[in-house]
Amino acid sequence: MNAPLEKRNRQTLLEKRKRQMRRATAIARTLVGVELALVALPLLVIVVWAFTDAWPWPDLWPQAFSARGIEQALSGRQNMGWDTLALSIGIAAACAVLTTAVAALACRALCHFQWRGRDVFQFATILPFIIPSTVFAMGIQVVFLQIGLARTVPGVILAHSIVALPYAIILMTDITRAAGTHREEAARSLGAGPWQMLRHVTIPQLLPGIVSSLSMCYIMSFSQYFLTLLVGGGRVQTFVLVLFPYLSGGDRTIACAYSLVFLVVTFAVFLIFELLLRRFGAREEGSLYG
Amino acid sequence: MQLALENIDLRLGGKDILRDVSFAVDDGRFVSVLGESGAGKSTTLKVIAGLLPQDSGRVLFDGTCVDDVPTHKRNTAIVFQDIRLFPNMDVRQNVAFPLKMRKVPRAERLATADRMLAAVQLEGFGNRRTYELSGGQQQRVAVARALAAKPDALLLDEPFSGLDEQLRAEMRQLVSRLHAEFGMTSLMVTHDADEALTMSDRIIYMSDGRVVQEGTPADLLLRPASDVVRAAFNDASSIEGRVEGGIFMSGKLCVSLADLAAYDETRAGDAALVGARANAPVEQVAPAIPDGPAVLVRVPDRTPFVHAL
Amino acid sequence: MVLPALLLLGVFVYGVGSGIIQGFGIMPFLDRTEFTLEYYEQALTRADLLGSIMFSLYFSFTSAILATVGGVALSALMTRARTGRLTRLFGIQVPITTMHAVVALAVICLFSGAGLFPRVLHVLGAAPDATSFPSVVGAPSGWGIIAVYLWKEIPFIAFMTITIMMNISSTLGEAARTLGAGSARAFFSVTLPLCRGAILRAFLVVFAFAFGSYEIPFLLEPTVPKALPVLAYIEFQDPDIINRCYAMALNGIMAGICTVLCVVYYVVLQRDGKRKRGRR
Repeated sequence: MNAPLEKRNRQTLLEKRKRQMRRATAIARTLVGVELALVALPLLVIVVWAFTDAWPWPDLWPQAFSARGIEQALSGRQNMGWDTLALSIGIAAACAVLTTAVAALACRALCHFQWRGRDVFQFATILPFIIPSTVFAMGIQVVFLQIGLARTVPGVILAHSIVALPYAIILMTDITRAAGTHREEAARSLGAGPWQMLRHVTIPQLLPGIVSSLSMCYIMSFSQYFLTLLVGGGRVQTFVLVLFPYLSGGDRTIACAYSLVFLVVTFAVFLIFELLLRRFGAREEGSLYG
Repeated sequence: MQLALENIDLRLGGKDILRDVSFAVDDGRFVSVLGESGAGKSTTLKVIAGLLPQDSGRVLFDGTCVDDVPTHKRNTAIVFQDIRLFPNMDVRQNVAFPLKMRKVPRAERLATADRMLAAVQLEGFGNRRTYELSGGQQQRVAVARALAAKPDALLLDEPFSGLDEQLRAEMRQLVSRLHAEFGMTSLMVTHDADEALTMSDRIIYMSDGRVVQEGTPADLLLRPASDVVRAAFNDASSIEGRVEGGIFMSGKLCVSLADLAAYDETRAGDAALVGARANAPVEQVAPAIPDGPAVLVRVPDRTPFVHAL
Repeated sequence: MVLPALLLLGVFVYGVGSGIIQGFGIMPFLDRTEFTLEYYEQALTRADLLGSIMFSLYFSFTSAILATVGGVALSALMTRARTGRLTRLFGIQVPITTMHAVVALAVICLFSGAGLFPRVLHVLGAAPDATSFPSVVGAPSGWGIIAVYLWKEIPFIAFMTITIMMNISSTLGEAARTLGAGSARAFFSVTLPLCRGAILRAFLVVFAFAFGSYEIPFLLEPTVPKALPVLAYIEFQDPDIINRCYAMALNGIMAGICTVLCVVYYVVLQRDGKRKRGRR
């Protein structure tokens, strides 16, 4: 047989299959790329509008830019400014810590222990998913008024935590179950006290779940409008409460400028959480392609 | 079907996983790939099944290059270490799955599935959910499922390592019996030297992505090509003895030659016995063994002992 | 261990419950303790209620179904494309992080009369002026609302399903392929059925969220019909405090519809849990 020809034949068969596989991957990649573009488009429009001064119809690009929107959004005029931002971040951070701690305990009870009423409890944890938060908000307002939690920061944090709880539980359930208790048992058998065990074993092995739960609760609290409006009663002014009227208002530049500040702040915090996650070596997909 | 790999190279994640791997498995043979973890054994199976395309070299089924054939058309079946039964189907549906994929009519594939379940001694388990079964039963279902595919090559990826010792012995016997019964070309990856010795026609020893030695169990055991191979068999699992009239004898031990896993013919009359086949009749191995097949083990400076599998 | 969670859930149930009770005319803080179905009757006989219910159901079901299909597809594509962490960060986490109302604003910027999309159409010669494009704000079809939810919830569904899908596809999906299933067949006969629980759960979360939230319909809905939460809030805000009962009755109706879903969810959860316990 013709040796060079045979050699080429071999390569082409393998190449052919690899080409097929590459093509399938390329199609999937392209479609994912389309999705990324669709994600990016609205965000870019917000960014452009935030700096737009004049954008007459039917131009595709603004005629003039200005920083007046951003200046106003950061200047502290009209209830807005660093105080509001600091308050919002504080509430969101407190909500994130509270909810995550509560969810971690609940997941532990759900995953590692058999007890009467566990199924009912598990069902109850998803109630805030199902019953609309608007229903909850209107109902709890009167209750909070009576017990003096309405129009207070703790009241807002509490309300946010309740709504965020099922998300936190969902995010932490799988990892809690996967972590199991055997490492803790090992630690205890090696002489670790309860606190040492918590610090060196329990928390580290749950860390990826804890971080994503923190991040999710933070975001939920930070962007919660309706609940904050009702429970805060106008006294607790978070960023969203200030931002919201502009969204339906006429000045698009201002609305987009506020939105941009909002986006930057949430993404920044989100990225911090992501970096934390990476730093602590959470590699969820590590073994998937091995 | 004859299965052959020619000069397979594969890099994954910047590491050489397979380097110039070549070997052949003759039609109907049972061959083991033995080696430490990380030697590239499982990857080899994936290349044969087409789950991972190699960088160079080729895979041949009966002399035909199958490099362009996607996994589902290669007609190989893998029994995975982690079993991988489909939890959304009952046991019978699991076993019938490959037939469904081959568009076998429903009645026929269910009948075949039941036959396969009987072959792995799980009659009447067809309607069970997979998660109701014990680990050993699940692995038997997985074997039945692979057999139902009537694969040209049966690929076993450390199929018994998740089971306890007792079950492992039973499964080895079962697989050996099924191989004798169905006669399909089989390639088993294992890190257990005893397993490779007692079950295989030939053994391929891999280390660090290369084939270090290929040969009969006796070859590897008695004439290891390198220290790693010798170490794999724990320096000595052979026992000296004499052969008279087709019977190997060493002290009180008498074993029929036909049941020896490996036997050094070059030293006829003063042979080295290494192990008995998985399906060897018990009383012929040694009266002292409660039941089951055995490997004879000799550790330097110790009395040779019989190691029940 | 469950006490803190029980406390939070207790407050939730108490809040929702006291609201519902008010719907029956019981307001202890106003010394009204008489049980009455009057407000429910009023609410249910209201001319625009059915329209509101249908509108709310319509856009939340449409959003949830399209988002589920899209989210599962996205999840499958990302699994297939073996996307890196950064892509997933941007394609999934960023939309989840973005607030709904901001997305509504972006949709307005893109599709309203003077938005970018009509401009592009104009340049292409398809739209003569700013009014020829169907307005996204107040469109009776609610497509603006649906667009916002899709942008937000497709990634959310993908987020809820991608981990399990990646795991299943790399183990059981691989097994199916070695047994003679092509990639598409393996996906539809093994991977997808096994993700069903996660998918259904995500669907219900998205539906309930779209059904019960205020911001997006408030910003984008037509004058009539109004979404249920908006309707309820209008009544709630009424200076006449008795109207609250009326708002609460509307809330009760909303909660009722969601409770039906809740039961469905519970059944799914039970079945899924049974399956999970058996999975190796």
